[in-house]
Amino acid sequence: MKLIFEYNQANTKHTPEEKDVDVPKELKRENLLLPDVNEVQIIRHYTELSKKNYGIDTNLYPLGSCTMKYNPRVNEDIAKLAGFSNIHPLTPVNQAQGALEVIWELQEDLKKITGMDAFSLQPAAGSQSELLGIMIAKKYFAEKNENRTKIIIPDSAHGTNPATAAMCKFQTVTIPTDKRGNMDLDEFKKEIGSDVAVVMITNPNTLGLYEENLSEIKNLAKENGALMYCDGANMNAFLGISKPADQGFDMIHLNLHKTFSTPHGGGGPGGGSLGVKTFLEDYLPVPRIKKENNEFVFDCNQEKSVGKLHSFYGNFGILVRALAYVRSWGTDIQKISKMAVLNANYLFSLLKEDFDVPYDRRCAHEFVISAKNLGEKSTINIAKRITDYGFHAPTIYFPLIVKEALMIEPTETESKETLDAYANILKIIIKELKEEPELLKNAPHTTPGRLDEVKAARQLNLRWAPQE
Amino acid sequence: MNYIPHTKEDISKMLSVVGCSTVDELVSEFKPRLSELNLNNPMSEMELVAYMTSLSEKNSQMKCFVGGGSYDHYIPSVINHLVSRGEFLTSYTPYQPEASQGILQVLYEFQSYICLLTGMDVSNASLYDGASALAEAALLSSAYTKRRGIFVDAGLNPEYLKVLQTYCDGTDLVISNTIDENTACVISQNPNFNGEIKNPTGLIEKTHLNNSLFINCISDPTSLAIIKPPGEFGADIVVGEGQSFGIPKSFGGPYLGFMAVKQFLTKKLPGRIVGITTDGKGNEGFVLTLQAREQFIRRERATSNITTNQTLLALTATIYLASLGKTGLQNVARASYHNAHLLQEKLRKKGIDIVNTNPFYNEFLVKTPKSTEKIIANLAEHNIFGGIDVGDNKLLVCCTEKNSLQDIDLYVKEASI
Repeated sequence: MKLIFEYNQANTKHTPEEKDVDVPKELKRENLLLPDVNEVQIIRHYTELSKKNYGIDTNLYPLGSCTMKYNPRVNEDIAKLAGFSNIHPLTPVNQAQGALEVIWELQEDLKKITGMDAFSLQPAAGSQSELLGIMIAKKYFAEKNENRTKIIIPDSAHGTNPATAAMCKFQTVTIPTDKRGNMDLDEFKKEIGSDVAVVMITNPNTLGLYEENLSEIKNLAKENGALMYCDGANMNAFLGISKPADQGFDMIHLNLHKTFSTPHGGGGPGGGSLGVKTFLEDYLPVPRIKKENNEFVFDCNQEKSVGKLHSFYGNFGILVRALAYVRSWGTDIQKISKMAVLNANYLFSLLKEDFDVPYDRRCAHEFVISAKNLGEKSTINIAKRITDYGFHAPTIYFPLIVKEALMIEPTETESKETLDAYANILKIIIKELKEEPELLKNAPHTTPGRLDEVKAARQLNLRWAPQE
Repeated sequence: MNYIPHTKEDISKMLSVVGCSTVDELVSEFKPRLSELNLNNPMSEMELVAYMTSLSEKNSQMKCFVGGGSYDHYIPSVINHLVSRGEFLTSYTPYQPEASQGILQVLYEFQSYICLLTGMDVSNASLYDGASALAEAALLSSAYTKRRGIFVDAGLNPEYLKVLQTYCDGTDLVISNTIDENTACVISQNPNFNGEIKNPTGLIEKTHLNNSLFINCISDPTSLAIIKPPGEFGADIVVGEGQSFGIPKSFGGPYLGFMAVKQFLTKKLPGRIVGITTDGKGNEGFVLTLQAREQFIRRERATSNITTNQTLLALTATIYLASLGKTGLQNVARASYHNAHLLQEKLRKKGIDIVNTNPFYNEFLVKTPKSTEKIIANLAEHNIFGGIDVGDNKLLVCCTEKNSLQDIDLYVKEASI
């Protein structure tokens, strides 16, 4: 576990040597304690680290709610084209028409896919898209002089939903989940009223289930003047099959890194986006792109806009990849969702008899099973043991409402062969759990092995520092 | 193109296991079914490359004399080779640390680099970009001080100010003109938007006397190779844009927000943080830590709603800083400084008014004798992107190590016409 700071070598000269600068002494830096490391060692150091990392390229990566699908390599090459990567964001628009066209075209495609009337691609990720959506709702109701203080969120929702509501000083009203895995309609009816600003729904929800009462929820929300917001993290379930706008949503955010397959990069960059119905369009962030006489221009003068969210226009390089992805599929896009749903239902069927099934319904693109039938802490032990077999664990202990939850999203890019292998390994692990429980308690049998997260939080070591 | 590996036989076998006769039946719950989808015909890889290349060619790549939050620094070749490795590129947030030691160590090194450069105690593992990092710092200050006022010192990047204003409106914070008992934080960009290096000592003293937090914002952190770090001046929070560290300009994103704080604010940090711990046998390893701050556990009581960050760009920055090292980063900063000072001097000799009076790093303001717009257009005809028109006939110019003497002379010639 040698750190980069522990090398001390001759520097590889990447730019010419320069003489010192003439900055006043009180403003000038005295010590710069960065190590010089030669390029040969840098290649070896980070190649070695890459080998200690698991990606989709390694094998199936079925993290529920994360849509870990294959990332087409051609999209990486396209994003690196100098005409995209070497463009300064403040380039006069008449010399950056291609860049504006990318944003425009992707907006158009996302409008077609979701049925929304307008899109902003400025948010840098899903959570920033949510923030934008809730800011828009806040401004919309403030201008209508309506004092709405609450946001309704089911208890199965992603943590970002309540966190975003709280950032914008709304009160979160949590609705429990009913026996079929839907937001409980009777409880919802008790809470919906003229003080509710937004109903935030994830569809399919984080249990991987289609919200069966959506139509009634929508009607009640509309009767009470509340906005319907769709957390579109799970859009991979119904691309080209049904449009969120037709389902009754006023706003939706899409995670481009999930549904549209831009690489997750170890945790980011993501790509956000927010689609809205016409009556909310004027609130979208500036600058917006307009087409005037066949030329694209930026429009910064939107009186009602909530403002600006990003230093420039969003994660442009991610937008390039997402556009390439959508265009490669075109009218075939529904195949993505159909195969994602087939894969999830197939793997679900293979595992049903081994695990507790909290909601025994056909699933969408992902499913949630529970290891509570196998004893307490079985889920963490199973997850750790999966690593020993060269696979990645699913999302575990989420959603919070299912005890010992395993949330599995295989995505459409996994073959039957791979799914069979994964199910098989889970079955072997369950057998081990019964016959050799110690084997699982100590898993994974790697170096380092199971890491002590409690100790990490109590005895903080968050950086390297030079010896005094 | 087709990234679906199933054969027809696979599909029919799978359907029979699921107990369904068609794939359509599996998605029948999704209603209403859409009637038409006006997307394009599917493209092969070759067609796609041709189409996307044609879009890229509608952008002109000019010699860059512009900064303003995005800088044209040289990117060593080694970066792309390492960042493209699939084990990094196609991984996600390291929820299973034992399968993610590589990216976790990279993030630990990144946090260490940010602390070393800024002179601060603790860094997170990145935020979206400079502007939103600044906004998150304002939110942090408000949560810590239980105050709602934000004071912004003159010279903040106007785009950052817009983003800050948006976040303030959405979260009930107020940007005010005075430092008083309601002030949660004082924000100061250094070097400021005009490139000037300020001595923040007086403002920091005033801030602390008022029990407010001092936030130092940095837009080109290569400046830290030659300027005294904000931690040594007494800043409580340092935020900024890490794009200068090996990340392409890419029309504004994805970039790299960073945030570092003094020890006492550690548990208020937003975003991911990596720490070192041990396994049962005493082997050291890396994990995400202090997760009790985060949305997926604390929900409405989280320090921020942030989930994904910019890990791949943090990796890029880490490899950049490793590749350049002390010697290389100093060379980059010195060359940027010298080129900017040379260009400024040459413009002065041509009779163009220089606005800056204080020491500056690699950006400076000039007052143009005629329409700034026309000068920018004239330079563009010579394939030079010559500056940002900041209004009032003022032009903000930037240099990096990439501007050659020849280009500087061409700039001076065409800007002085």
